[in-house]
Formats: sequence, structure tokens, C-alpha cells
Amino acid sequence: MELQTNGQVEAAVRGVLADVLGLSTERVENFDADTPLFGALPELDSMAVAGVLTELEDRLGILIEDDEVDGEMLETFGQLVAFAHAKAGA
Amino acid sequence: MIDYYDWPGGREAMLRFGPAQGPVVLVALPFWEEANRIRGLAVAVLRRLADHGIGGALPDWPGTGESLIETEQATIIQWRNAHEAAAATLSDRPCYGVSIRGGTLIDGFAMLSGRWHLAPMTGEAVLRDVIRLRAAAGLRGDRYGLFGAESPVRIAGNRVSPHFLAGLAGAEPYDQPGVPRRVVRLGHDRAPADRTIDAVPPWRRAEPQEDPELAAILAEDIAQWIASCEG
Repeated sequence: MELQTNGQVEAAVRGVLADVLGLSTERVENFDADTPLFGALPELDSMAVAGVLTELEDRLGILIEDDEVDGEMLETFGQLVAFAHAKAGA
Repeated sequence: MIDYYDWPGGREAMLRFGPAQGPVVLVALPFWEEANRIRGLAVAVLRRLADHGIGGALPDWPGTGESLIETEQATIIQWRNAHEAAAATLSDRPCYGVSIRGGTLIDGFAMLSGRWHLAPMTGEAVLRDVIRLRAAAGLRGDRYGLFGAESPVRIAGNRVSPHFLAGLAGAEPYDQPGVPRRVVRLGHDRAPADRTIDAVPPWRRAEPQEDPELAAILAEDIAQWIASCEG
């Protein structure tokens, strides 16, 4: 698998959040590392979490194990990008 | 028009669209919450197909929609039988299956002139989604825990029988020898397909949004494929 740069991974995460949660591009563009996600976005219920993870797998060509899924990785935008980046670069 | 069909376990509602003669498509929606997310798109596609002179049927399955059967009583064999019975009511016309996601796992019993599959998935992939969905809700467990459950399994607001889930193990979309099949996929799905359309998969959207452009593209694809099958 080719190594993906942090910028590409971050753009993919923004794209997935916009498409799955139906958020506007402007809103997602304004997310920074400290923007809270799980618990702060009403759109992000457990069904949406599953959708975000599966769509990230498709777009980044990664595989996420279900025992890796916990609230921490989705706490902030920065944590989700870091998780995706670790997966994509592994 | 709201029509109905009889299957061995009862009678279910079936929405009908388009002309009463000529080719007709029978839609099999995905499972559970995904069906809710896709229904609007399916209806939009069927209306566009009517403009192409192609009839459409969108049935409820036992335990869905207006069905008198409890959701938790439904099994996948019932759905296959119901799909076969719905197709039989349309058998005086060339009937094509249009099946979406998990719906591609229930169109195998019917006598169809062809199968058009949108984002077909194996039973294993459905089970994987179920386990992930439950993990995201803080419920740990594997497939064996689901199959052996002593009460219905909650999947995004639906109470699903463990027997239904066990019936998904090893299930594959049906590619009947000698019968046309076309596979269309959406977005970043890299699995083999006859065509991949650049669009956000509506079954992933938390809030359904109308996508008339996608409905028109899918209807056009189905209409052209049926025209080529009818030769």
C-alpha cells in the first residue's frame, strides 16, 4: 500500500464527515484538531459512526478492526485524523 | 398505486409504478435502516423508469413496512420466498430484479429475465456491518454471539431474529448461469463492477437527502440494460 501524506488523510476524513453526516463543506473545512466530534455532533450516532469507519476504509484502502473502535478515537477531529493516519501509514 | 401480493405466509403490500404492460422491475431494498435510507431513491428511480416505459414494483417483505408479521419473526428464507411470490405475480411480463446491497441476497429463488445489482454484498459483509454497528454502540461481541442470542438482536432500532442473521452466513449474491446480470457500484467502492458511478452512497448518509441526478443516472442505466437484454 502506498504511504499517504497527512494532508491526503485529513482531506479524506473531512470528505467522509461531510458526506456521511450531511455537513456543509464550509463547516467541515473549519474543523481543527480540537473540534469535538462524538457527543458534540447530534448527527454522529452509532449508525453514523459505523458509516464513517466503513467509508474511511473504502477511501483510504485500510482495514479497521472492530476492537479498535472506541469513543476516544472519535472524541475530536484531530484524534480521528491521527487514527486514520496511523492506519494508512502502517 | 398500492397493490399487494400473496406469499405462503400471508399477504404484503407492493407499490406499483409505470405501465401495466412490457418489462417490469422488481426492487429488493437493503436490510433494516439502510432500507429506510434508500427507499426515497428507489421510488425516484422507479418514477424515472416509468418515463422510460418500464414498470416497477416495490414490495414490503414479511416483517417490514405495513407487514402484519413482527420484524423479529422474519427470516431470510421468508424474504426469498416472498420475493419469489412477488415476481410470480408479475410473470406475465419480462420481470427484471433490481436489488440493492443486502437485497442482492434474496432475489435468488425468483424466475427473472435478469438481475441488476447495485453494490451487491455477501452475507459475511452484512454481518460485519452488524458487528461494527454494535461495536460503535458499545456492544462487543462476535457473529457466534449474534447467532446464539436468546432474544432478538437490536440493529439500529430493528429487532432482528438470530435465525435471520445465521441465514446470512455464507450467503452470496446469485449470478444465475445463462441469465443476464449487471453490477453497478457507487463512490470509492473498488470491488469488481460493470460500472462505478461517482456518487456518495446514500445508504451511508445519516440523513437521507434527495439526489435526483443519481436517480436519473441509475434509471438510465437500468433502462439501457433492459433494452439490450430484450434485444
